[in-house]
Amino acid sequence: MVAKKEMLTGNSSAAWGVRLAEIDYIPAYPITPQTEIIETLAKWISDGVMDTRMVTMDSEHSMITAAGAASATGVRAFTATSSQGLLYGFEMLYTVAGWRVPLVMVNVSRGLSAPITLEPDHNDILSARDSGFLQIHCETCQEVLDSILIAYRLAEDERVLLPVLVNMDGFHLSFTREPVEIPDIEDVRRFLPTYNPKHAFFKASQPMAQGIAVLGGPIYSYFKYQMHLACMKGLEVYKEISKEFEKVFHRSYDTVEKYMTDDADYILIMTNSFSTLGKAAVKRARERGIKIGLLKLRLLRPFPEEDLKNAIKGCKAVAVLDQNIGVGKGGILYPEIASTIYNEQKRPVLLSFIGGLGGKNISESEFDFIFDNMIKAAETGKAPAPQLLYTETEWNEMEKLKKMAGKPIFW
Amino acid sequence: MLRIRFHGRGGQGTKIASRLVGTAAFLDGLYAQDFPLYGAERRGAPITAFTRISREPILERGVISEPDILIIMDETLLDDPMAMPLTGLKEDGVIFLNTTHSPAEAKNRYKIKAQIITLDITKIGIDTLGKPILSTLAGGVASKIAGIREDSLKKAIEKELSEIITDSELIKKNIEASLYCFNIIKPVEVKTSEITHKGSTVISVPFEAASISTPSVNTAGNIPLRKTGNWRTFKPIFNYELCNKCMICVARCPDGCIAVRNERGFPSIDYDNCKGCLICIDECPVHAIEKVREVHTW
Ligand code: SF4
Ligand code: SF4
Repeated sequence: MVAKKEMLTGNSSAAWGVRLAEIDYIPAYPITPQTEIIETLAKWISDGVMDTRMVTMDSEHSMITAAGAASATGVRAFTATSSQGLLYGFEMLYTVAGWRVPLVMVNVSRGLSAPITLEPDHNDILSARDSGFLQIHCETCQEVLDSILIAYRLAEDERVLLPVLVNMDGFHLSFTREPVEIPDIEDVRRFLPTYNPKHAFFKASQPMAQGIAVLGGPIYSYFKYQMHLACMKGLEVYKEISKEFEKVFHRSYDTVEKYMTDDADYILIMTNSFSTLGKAAVKRARERGIKIGLLKLRLLRPFPEEDLKNAIKGCKAVAVLDQNIGVGKGGILYPEIASTIYNEQKRPVLLSFIGGLGGKNISESEFDFIFDNMIKAAETGKAPAPQLLYTETEWNEMEKLKKMAGKPIFW
Repeated sequence: MLRIRFHGRGGQGTKIASRLVGTAAFLDGLYAQDFPLYGAERRGAPITAFTRISREPILERGVISEPDILIIMDETLLDDPMAMPLTGLKEDGVIFLNTTHSPAEAKNRYKIKAQIITLDITKIGIDTLGKPILSTLAGGVASKIAGIREDSLKKAIEKELSEIITDSELIKKNIEASLYCFNIIKPVEVKTSEITHKGSTVISVPFEAASISTPSVNTAGNIPLRKTGNWRTFKPIFNYELCNKCMICVARCPDGCIAVRNERGFPSIDYDNCKGCLICIDECPVHAIEKVREVHTW
């Protein structure tokens, strides 16, 4: 069999990644827009094309527990969730990471309730940023499939041994079909050999206790800091793995993706599927002679500080487009990027924008607004106040809806 | 790039139609992207799906607000304030409308200025497939308008349908019906410009008091005002000669449209809201309900 190209949704791309990684165990619990991943896998298992054990659970909390516990027995496990589901199982994210087991999990981003929605933003996945899970964020369906293969290599590497979350946007990727190359299973086996656990496994002849209790700060500090060091080690391990991936599959995935950034005076930083819209806007602005580029963050944990610094070196202004909102502070990635460059001798003006909340479209004029602001900030050396991307038309529509809902209330 | 937007009702095959065009374009060697918009997933509710095809990599995602081609699979959507299928059609864009009317009549009736192609694909569906399922028919029409090759359309139907149905005879019938639609539509040139609407200016959202800015609704619900009778393709009609008043249909109607309203104690239907799912026909033990094709409910 050779690699074949097909029209696949982000969800079926994820399912293909799992099928090719030859997973042993999948505990599952449904939630829109993730359910299609599990349905696809369930169908393949019942058709006999996948030799995997799938169990439906009673909640995401049990599901993540079961997946982590299975990983701790030395098998290759997978699970997936989204939004409210991720939060419902949140306690177990920290626990499973603390076990130092190589679980891979997909999160399909969806805005958090309330008000309730089905469309994407990244408050769900970013809430897990300090848990110890590594995080890979995807822009295309191909990236979803490939990232799952990379994620298992990364998680199972002796120098890392931490779980990995692979993120894709609900709807914009999960339900969108585009051409995806499905790799040949022999190539995948070459890249991702059978998992051979050396530290967490169950064997009758060799009893062990895992995830033990510790009382006393020094012991706790030691284990927590080791997790951090292992996660940071993940940076160089990731680079090795992505080079090998490129050798086998001829697709390259660095920790960050640079789009027209080489000679750029202005750089827009984005993540996930809306980066496609950002690239189109950058391309249009280039045609108008604006020297602008886009930097997409793929690896969010560990945070690729050096690659980020190098990519924006010499440019005049950088805008961070956060598709999330840290209520009471602002964009979540903005301060991470600010702290990365704070101690640099020469650093660009750094602007903060929040856009695409709950899947809100980001139009051409909104990107142009960002670009205009970057140019002005570079000239004056002053960054404007953080800005939500929201248009006059959208405001007027909102006014109508407020009226329909009987607002304001007059007593 | 061609941006195609499909409008239909849940159960008509809107999503599959958009996929067929996506797969056919992909098999034609083009870049393709397709995407359904879910939300109210129930039979009869307005559904939208999108297909983009291009010679270059597609740097767009999400909904198509300015289509080059509109495929309207259900005429009643034109009057539906929730669907508004004509919104955003580009100048020089092409509309396909599933209707019994001629293009001139449809233009007049719905006050449409754009180029319009009409065909009663519901009738074709009923005649050839025995059901008003329109996925492959609308897919055939859209493929023709988008300039896709017949052979790619045929392969796309084989591929997409074999993943969801096992009956090879039904797949064959679908291919025939789809190619019939493909060939009956005259080739058109879609000459829209690449220039799209840029969107309006960015504003600063001001603070508003919680009495305004919390997600609560203070007005009374308006669901009773939303009539679903025009979702019907078939109308259920009682034959009281056969009815034994068992009331099974009353219990089974998912929308509570059947009640006893006359002195003789027979059930009757609220046609303003009966959405034509025909569950009552399946459930009636003595076959006292029959269906008749309906073209315009109102
Ligand atoms: S077709 Fe029958 S079951 Fe369906 S909504 Fe109408 S009355 Fe009710
Ligand atoms: S189910 Fe049939 S027989 Fe029974 S009340 Fe309804 S129409 Fe009459």
